[in-house]
Amino acid sequence: MISYLVRRILWIIPVLFTVSIITFILMHSVPGGPWDRDKRLPEGVQARLNAQYGLDQPIYVQYVNWAGQFVQGNLGPSYRYQDRTVNTIVADGIGTTVQLGVMAFILAVLVGIPLGIIAALGHNRSPDYLSTSVSIVGIATPSFVLAILLIVFFGVELRWFPTSGWKGPQYWVLPTIALAGFPIAQIARYTRASMLEVTRKDYIRTAQSKGLRDRAVVVRHMVRNALIPVVTILGPIFAFLVTGSFIIETIFAIPGVGRYYITAIGTRDYSLLMAMTMLYAFAVAFMNVVVDVLYAYIDPRIRYS
Amino acid sequence: MQKRLFGILATVAIVVAACGGATTSSAPAASTEPGASAPAESAPAPSESNLAADQILNVTAQGEPPTLDPNKAQDSNSITILRGLVRGLVYFDKDLKIVPGLASSWDISPDAKTLTFHLRDAKYSNGDPIVAGDFVYSFKRLIDPRTAAPYSYVTAEIDGAPDLLAMAGADPAPSDATIQAAIDKLGVSAPDDKTLVIKLNTPASYFLTALTLWVFVPIEKKWIESPNATEAGNFVSSGPFVLDSWTHNSELTLKPNPNWWGDVKPTLTALNFFLRSDPESDQAAFEAGELDITQTPSPDIQRVVADPVLGPQVLQIPQFSITQYDFNNFEDPKLKSFKTPGPTANKDFRIALTQAIDKQAFIDATYAGVGQVANSFVMPGIPGYQPDLNPYPFDLASAKDHMTKALAALGKSSAADFGKLKFGFNTGAGHEPRVAFLAEAWRQAFGLETEQIGSDFSVFLTQRTAGQYDIARDGWGADYPHANNQLNGLFTCHGGNNDSQYCNPDFDALIAQAAAEPDQDKQVALYNQAQTLMIDDAAILPLRFLTQTYEVAPYVSGVLATGSDSVSPGELFWESIQIMKH
Repeated sequence: MISYLVRRILWIIPVLFTVSIITFILMHSVPGGPWDRDKRLPEGVQARLNAQYGLDQPIYVQYVNWAGQFVQGNLGPSYRYQDRTVNTIVADGIGTTVQLGVMAFILAVLVGIPLGIIAALGHNRSPDYLSTSVSIVGIATPSFVLAILLIVFFGVELRWFPTSGWKGPQYWVLPTIALAGFPIAQIARYTRASMLEVTRKDYIRTAQSKGLRDRAVVVRHMVRNALIPVVTILGPIFAFLVTGSFIIETIFAIPGVGRYYITAIGTRDYSLLMAMTMLYAFAVAFMNVVVDVLYAYIDPRIRYS
Repeated sequence: MQKRLFGILATVAIVVAACGGATTSSAPAASTEPGASAPAESAPAPSESNLAADQILNVTAQGEPPTLDPNKAQDSNSITILRGLVRGLVYFDKDLKIVPGLASSWDISPDAKTLTFHLRDAKYSNGDPIVAGDFVYSFKRLIDPRTAAPYSYVTAEIDGAPDLLAMAGADPAPSDATIQAAIDKLGVSAPDDKTLVIKLNTPASYFLTALTLWVFVPIEKKWIESPNATEAGNFVSSGPFVLDSWTHNSELTLKPNPNWWGDVKPTLTALNFFLRSDPESDQAAFEAGELDITQTPSPDIQRVVADPVLGPQVLQIPQFSITQYDFNNFEDPKLKSFKTPGPTANKDFRIALTQAIDKQAFIDATYAGVGQVANSFVMPGIPGYQPDLNPYPFDLASAKDHMTKALAALGKSSAADFGKLKFGFNTGAGHEPRVAFLAEAWRQAFGLETEQIGSDFSVFLTQRTAGQYDIARDGWGADYPHANNQLNGLFTCHGGNNDSQYCNPDFDALIAQAAAEPDQDKQVALYNQAQTLMIDDAAILPLRFLTQTYEVAPYVSGVLATGSDSVSPGELFWESIQIMKH
């Protein structure tokens, strides 16, 4: 088990390496640069800045420079926020982003899984229709629509919660719900499908014919088995949530790092963009390892050696 | 036009009246209101007792400021905040006339090339005296190519500055010793702590106006070179407020500067900036009472103006800003892609395109009717504005005549023969309906087809600069209200912001002559000649002078809005704003 884990974690390194090379090449092949402004910077100033930041070097030299700094934990200067390094930008925001992501994840699991179970147990009856409708709406509603609806209804009309900011628990409610909306629907649909699959298995019939009570059959036999495929998607969902959301963080003015996925592309803030990509790549790769380990606990048939 | 302008002024007056005027005994500047018209002055003057106990103002900066280093700042998000934090030698009054700032007086030499400033006694927020040497340090730092300051170009009139500006892009890069030698020769000096002398290389009378910019403020060397100098608690302020806290990407708070030397002391105890870049969320926050002042997003303007509650809170202020579309004049020989100039190189073709556009209909359809039709470039309110300059008004018959001439000259039988013209714009900024309006007008008038190319901002700018489009969206906001800033560099041959690839040596000669003219009336006449030449050439398609739509909560008073506001109305005078009882 330990050696398996070590092997899996070491495999993350070539994954990150590949991701970094592809991103680096794509990023630099897009026209434009970090000094583009509607009011153009004097050419001399642009040239000077390029020289200062090493952007006048051939791209492979730039990559080697970047990679050399990266392995030492130095993410480089931000091109857009010139008084700050990428390290401080990420350090300032990552805590908030992870907190929001974890809260949204917990909410998504606590709501999504029961919703799926209820739907499956009431298959083709009103609980199923209700739950399925909720998840279809959840899948189909983009988060920015949900966020604006929440702000208009609970912020502007009812004034129960502030429309934006991040200064205390009352500020957490709307963004958490808005961020959890899509994963709730996703988890509910997976859980329902998985539960329906399990319901038809022989061991469920066996359990029922043994005279076990319904509750015991559902909890001990159905849910536990049905959750295996669900856990598979929980990994990526968790990685997605804790690395932040551009839309939610922008709309609610949350001081996290999620917004930089988009803004760093728009402003050609190369070092920040690399940092964010590496962060996301690491989160996804790492969560896949975690999910594989979790399988071993949920499904006794899976053993790693 | 007259009517529209009057309507705007009336709106201002009404809003000011609704704000209950703004005069208090403690704030002399507040007695001079924008559009200080009869209704505003006859409104009951609030006294101290009308002030709310809570003097906290919540506004938006529309995004995280990229930097608060005064020499390096260039984005509106930074400028709106810096206007509370720093002040220079001279400043504006609410009518944008030049008034003393840290310089209590100044002398201009007979040849208008030497400016001598006499400083007042003043201290920074940290208690250190503000001395002339800090201006010398700041100006040299601004020009120093190693600083790579985006606004370094505004120093070009200082004696010795052009050499330094040229060094910025020199290849190979000049040595530190070379740079230092040039800096030492720069025409900025401090004979004593209270006197600053600036020598210019040309009698540039507009240079005083440029000195109001946030880049020309005093900077203490020991402060700006200290680590994290621009973070909260470290920022050394020369303005009415200090930087109290800065939660990056979320909120930034200013508090009154105890050492503030100005006459108008802030009544506000805190000035909070929301650092969010989503205008719709700002609008929602305003409606929820969390913001006291906001900009109304274009799609909301009609609803807000018609709203019984929000409508009276609307404040519409003409800006020193213009929306124009560039025709590619294909006259910049540096750009190699012009082996075969497109039809927009033909003057009759450009005139035809100009006369085919009903500008008022364009504004009504795509800007909710907000803004003023532009037929020239220098904005209303800036000396050099030419209200009567309109050689090519909307006239379809004349447009078709010019198109016929253009077709004959270019050897085509119909406009469709040109194929699709490349029409570039940046996406995600609401330009789509505007581009569509223009493209459709040209299609209907001439059967001219365009390929509307929407790109990400950086890609769009790169392509526009390289002259890759026949027609491209553009806009310009005045750095300072002077015709030089509107014409020089934008329409001079190979100018830094010349995106219409226009080049007319006569125009360049007039601009150079105007810059050197010390007499203001003669100077304006020269700028007018230059602008007339450029507009007669139909170098660009001017469309709209911007009017910004804001909402100001009724209990906010002392908002001295000007056309130079970048994000919030009255931001030039944050210290004048007060919260009334509500």
